[in-house]
Amino acid sequence: MSQSLRPYLQAVRSSLTAALCLSNFASQTAERHNVPEIEAQTSPEVLLTPLTIARNENERVLIEPSINSIRISIRIKQADEIEHILVHKFTRFLTQRAESFFILRRKPIKGYDISFLITNFHTEEMLKHKLVDFIIQFMEEVDKEISEMKLFLNARARFVAESFLTPVSLICPQTRPNSQVDVCLSLTKRTRRINKQSICAASSWLVEGHDSDALRLAFGEHKRIMITLSSRLLLWLLQVVILSNCRRLTIASKGNTYPEFEKHTRELTIRFLSLA
Amino acid sequence: MSIIQQHTAASLSDAWRTINIDALEEDSSVNFDTSTLHPALPEVSEADVRQINIQVRQLLRGGDAEGALRGSLEMPVYNGSDLAKEAHLHTVIEVLQSIKASEMTPMLQRIYGTPGGSECLDVLMKYLYKGMAATSAADGNSSAPRTPTRMTPQQTGFSQVGGRPGGANESTGGAMSVLLSWHEKVVEVAGLGCIGRCMTDWRKV
Repeated sequence: MSQSLRPYLQAVRSSLTAALCLSNFASQTAERHNVPEIEAQTSPEVLLTPLTIARNENERVLIEPSINSIRISIRIKQADEIEHILVHKFTRFLTQRAESFFILRRKPIKGYDISFLITNFHTEEMLKHKLVDFIIQFMEEVDKEISEMKLFLNARARFVAESFLTPVSLICPQTRPNSQVDVCLSLTKRTRRINKQSICAASSWLVEGHDSDALRLAFGEHKRIMITLSSRLLLWLLQVVILSNCRRLTIASKGNTYPEFEKHTRELTIRFLSLA
Repeated sequence: MSIIQQHTAASLSDAWRTINIDALEEDSSVNFDTSTLHPALPEVSEADVRQINIQVRQLLRGGDAEGALRGSLEMPVYNGSDLAKEAHLHTVIEVLQSIKASEMTPMLQRIYGTPGGSECLDVLMKYLYKGMAATSAADGNSSAPRTPTRMTPQQTGFSQVGGRPGGANESTGGAMSVLLSWHEKVVEVAGLGCIGRCMTDWRKV
């Protein structure tokens, strides 16, 4: 356990133990009703001072005690957006199954990720120290869970991205119609940037059957080009590759869209032996 | 003749459904006067708070940390403007931050042993909670990473190194850990009743 986590959890534990001091209290506004006063907010004199325990601005707990109920809201640590999404999904998964958790609130308080509502009926049925233990354990586990999920997600994203680009002849045209990935078609060594117009022109040349002219128009003398990937373009390029009897097409993503790829300067080499 | 005498835009819309009619009734429990739950409190102005701050600083500079702590806790701002309350909170936190971790428990025990010491620790507990609430709320509003507004490639979370908020996080984390360790020590010395009194007391800092 890290240095600052222990006093944080200890503070939550002692505050919860002190706050979990509930008694039966019937509603003062509606006869024969018995509602959690912290939710109803109809009698200001039975609502106690809310307590906030914070570890830093991203991790805090709000305890709102009242005479017959206590509401505990937890804000889970979220270092970046991916953790934000994971926390959202995770808490949503739990809150959708709220009735099997008894004390879980269906909707978190604004500004927090998950809320618990403990009433006097819960403390009558369950052991108080076990309830406190449960909350503390939840807080411990949830951080671990989220960081584990994040690692899994990164590993999976890497795997998916790799397999996404590998069988480019089959997958790319169907799955990524308007992708912003730059494609390098390397037939020889040197690089030349070409525009879409010349490719279109080359395409029409291609339709007319002037294979070599289309190729020269598309790739020039230097046979390496940078273009934006689209399904039609890719199909056409494959066509060109096949028609030109070329046996190698190298695709390198160079845009900012996939920093992972750039980091590894990945070049996926695809051989079209079966196609050529 | 209809009971409804006249239609207005307000009566035709659905807005009236959201009116809490209990609040309009004099005898309703919603209108309980919570000021009857605590004794009359003297009003503390900002000038008073500033004076306390100066005195406390003098004591701190003189090396009398215990006196400074007592001084700041014996005059809590129960009744005053938000600014005065904030200013006094800063005074208290300043004192707390200037006391070394090894001195905390003996100092608290000494204060607890003296007459009126228990009340002092209750007040300290109130300020600890207020400090944590105030700091986290202020920072949570300003630099909340909850809404994904920054859509730069570095922030998509795919990279494992970047994306961690920088220095501001560290400093508030440091301030929090001071409050948290004080919280732990106060509970050790004064017990859980301290937190209970903190919740139930209507004299709020």
